[in-house]
Amino acid sequence: MDISLSRLEFLNEIVPMQGVVERRTTIPVLSHILLRATDDRLHIAATDLEVSLTSWCASKVKEEGAIAIQAKKLLEIVRASSGDELSLRIEQEGVLTILVGKSLFRIRGLPADEFPTLPNIEGEKPVRIPFQTFRGMVTKVFYAISSEESRFQLSGALLEFRKEGLVLVATDGHRLALVESSVKGIDEADGLLVPRKALQELQRFEGEEMNFRHSDHHLSFTVGRRQLICRILEGTFPDYERVISKDNDRQVVVDRQQLAAVINRVGLLTGDRARAIRMELEAGTLVFSAANPDLGEAREEIGCDYAGESLSLGINPDYFGHFLSVTDTEKVRLELKDENSQCVAYPVDGLEQRYVCVIMPIRL
Amino acid sequence: MPQIRILEDRLISQIAAGEVVERPASVVKELVENSIDAGAHDVSIELESGGKRRVVVSDDGRGMDADDALLAFDRHATSKIVEFDDLEQVATLGFRGEALASIAAVSRVELRTATSPGDGTLVRIEGGRVKRAEPIAHPQGTRLEIASLFFNVPARRKFVKRPQTELRRALEVVQGYALAHPEVRFTLRHEGRALLETIPTRDDGVGIRERIAQVFGAPLSRNLVEIPLDFITEEEAITGFVGNQQTTRGRRLFVFVNRRLVRDRAVLASFYRAVREEWKSDDYPALFLFLDVEPREVDVNVHPQKAEVRFRDPTFVDRVGTALRATLAAARGEEPAPLRVPRGMPQVQAAWEGLGGRQVDEAGRQEAWRPIASGSPSSGTTSSPTLSAIGTPTGPQRDSSLAVESAPGEVREPAAAYPPFGSSGRIAQPTWKPEEPRMVPLSGRSGEARPFRILGQYKGTMILLEGPDGLYLIDQHVAHERLLYERVRRSLHAERSTSQTLLTPMLLELGQSEALRLEELAAALEPCGFVLSPMSGGAIALTAIPTVLSIDEAEAILQKLATSSEELDGQGLRQKLLDTLAASLACQAAVKMHHPMTLDKMERLVSELFKAEQPYACPHGRPVVLVMGDVELERRFGRR
Repeated sequence: MDISLSRLEFLNEIVPMQGVVERRTTIPVLSHILLRATDDRLHIAATDLEVSLTSWCASKVKEEGAIAIQAKKLLEIVRASSGDELSLRIEQEGVLTILVGKSLFRIRGLPADEFPTLPNIEGEKPVRIPFQTFRGMVTKVFYAISSEESRFQLSGALLEFRKEGLVLVATDGHRLALVESSVKGIDEADGLLVPRKALQELQRFEGEEMNFRHSDHHLSFTVGRRQLICRILEGTFPDYERVISKDNDRQVVVDRQQLAAVINRVGLLTGDRARAIRMELEAGTLVFSAANPDLGEAREEIGCDYAGESLSLGINPDYFGHFLSVTDTEKVRLELKDENSQCVAYPVDGLEQRYVCVIMPIRL
Repeated sequence: MPQIRILEDRLISQIAAGEVVERPASVVKELVENSIDAGAHDVSIELESGGKRRVVVSDDGRGMDADDALLAFDRHATSKIVEFDDLEQVATLGFRGEALASIAAVSRVELRTATSPGDGTLVRIEGGRVKRAEPIAHPQGTRLEIASLFFNVPARRKFVKRPQTELRRALEVVQGYALAHPEVRFTLRHEGRALLETIPTRDDGVGIRERIAQVFGAPLSRNLVEIPLDFITEEEAITGFVGNQQTTRGRRLFVFVNRRLVRDRAVLASFYRAVREEWKSDDYPALFLFLDVEPREVDVNVHPQKAEVRFRDPTFVDRVGTALRATLAAARGEEPAPLRVPRGMPQVQAAWEGLGGRQVDEAGRQEAWRPIASGSPSSGTTSSPTLSAIGTPTGPQRDSSLAVESAPGEVREPAAAYPPFGSSGRIAQPTWKPEEPRMVPLSGRSGEARPFRILGQYKGTMILLEGPDGLYLIDQHVAHERLLYERVRRSLHAERSTSQTLLTPMLLELGQSEALRLEELAAALEPCGFVLSPMSGGAIALTAIPTVLSIDEAEAILQKLATSSEELDGQGLRQKLLDTLAASLACQAAVKMHHPMTLDKMERLVSELFKAEQPYACPHGRPVVLVMGDVELERRFGRR
């Protein structure tokens, strides 16, 4: 290998690779980035076997070749260097020479053939999705994905293509977030479970349009020159439409930012683990309070347009906070039924076709 | 009219029945024993409504002929012993000849039996009266159907619990026999649902391990360590299995004496002692212990249900203890270290200030003498507080001041013994408050309280202390965990549990008897934050969990509870759950290993630890403090 390329362009492409490589791995090559020079491009790839990311940089290729280089070290070197042009060479088997400005690095790498073969699903028909819309959807459900990895939890979100539009749903068993946008013209019967890590990396992508493909076991998201491939998660997602209550007859509309601030303040007086505050809905006011035997008490109220019967239930302030922080409307609507039933929250006049967050109550 | 009468035979039977037959499970027990004594290789049990409505036990044993079939229901009719001397060597499970008569007195019984295929007898008895007896065709063996138990004893009926409870007890009985007789096939069905099905295996260590796997699942049987075969002699055999530390989750303790399941206190006590000594733990592993002795060496005629036994040779239980200790040591899988956990907890009053280094020492002195000066009116204007203290010859003050002046090693009176300050005097009012007297447990010689001195921290992990009788090592993580545990437990007990409702119920898949147990506990679990409802096929749906737990932790706690055999009522259950919660919370919050601590922090931790309810073991049973005794140290350095 003997190539030269733009340092900044290279840096730009190896930064997102860091999120994919595994740091603590028993397979050394998984902490490496694969560099492969062919034609007039340097192809770059990283994988943890679940999620893979590929990209490329334009480069002048004098001699083709490939090597796997430790991801973190490569990033550190490229970032710390100065100069616009960067040369990469393999002069000696298994060692990459990096020449940038007046600096020279020789780094040991691993043979390219040790790097896992990435799944190829180019053959599948792509679906075009506006990327900004998609990224917005991911942000709106990402917080509800469980971070626990166990047999009861799905650490991923469900992606569904319906006639009415594209749906993304996530739940951790305590709450559920669903967002639907009017991306049409796609017809797919079954939902696909996208791993949490893939969605996390996708949020860092930039671009106008995303090409989405899927095979029996893999999904691919292509934005610009970057392509993220992940395995489809196995598991059964709950029947979410049935879970979302449709008969919560007590509704209240409140200012979103004010609600977020109040919940945040009252939430200060909850324990680290047992996060629960009381929400009391009375005619004209919405009262939040917290009492913790070790800390003390807090109470604050918000005026609202409610005129029905009084109602009181326990909620986790974080669950509300997550929803309120990713919602961008001025007001939100809460729909309640009784103290043992879920609280369903909606933005009022949101941009999405539909956005809903279901929060299960806490029995106080 | 005379007031004293001889009771009618039938009434005697009904009264006596209470001793033998308490509940459906006792019926199952008696009938299964008879089947085994009859040499059956296939015993099948069917229950309806937990056995309250119907118990059917059929076997392929020897069976009875027409005469025996009737005689069997007479009181003290038995085929198992003939004369008193036989009692000396009872080799069969039953022998008193009470069971069938007692059962027949309080239920509707139908007996079908045959000694050879086809040539059988049918006997029907209701409330002790024979209603029908006639020849029928029946395969070899015996089938006994007991319906409407206690139909004529309403008082007794009231004590029978809900069907699930009765069913679980019956299932536990059958499990016991299934473990003791691996060569016999046992099937237990409840209203058509098979709850237990075992396949005959060999009657040896390998077979019993396989049977344990059939009854409790393969994971348990893999975690068992067999008792070494060294404990088998001509006269007696101590065999079986002890679990490793993975098996402490459920309390599965089974002791068999001559293949009879017993609850012998002496044997269990020796097991508990062995675990405490070998493992330094109160978490008991699974135990499957088979004690086989000459029938004349053991008295099983102590208790009508034969649950207790008495060994003629008092040293036998000691030998059992030795066998258990050897196996427990192997199950723990490590060599005994020269370090030991401090034994006992003698509580000696002592003070902690001034033991951990110069600075604190100074502070301790200053704090110690001020109140004495201000609190001793007789000392007047004395500027030297020490003198003033000596000037008051009696009372606790004198002792306190002595303690201050004397070398470490003396007992100092607790600060609370100081007279209340605030009395007039020229010396300014002290700003500190006297503390509660502290109890410092010392493992030294009795009555002699010697302070500890902190030597430092080892690898950011352990605190080293110079103690009165040796070098003390304290695991800082475990010590902190212990303190947090006691604190969290106190606050949990004080407040109500909040409970997070789940979006969709979580399904717990459990063994049948385990699911039944959780169903029984459901009502008591609710105030603790667990809301569950039974589903078909041994599954339980969990709809809400305590807020402080993750879904996985909640599941682990319920699994543990389901396999525990402790009888818990509402309050006991709540206590136990809160303790479990506290332990899990404390562990997460405690100072981790490899965390350097300053001397002050170590002082604080150690002094608080020694005030804890139980400073020597963490909530999970691991030791907190280890001692290397002076004697041991000297011996190892060749000075003794």
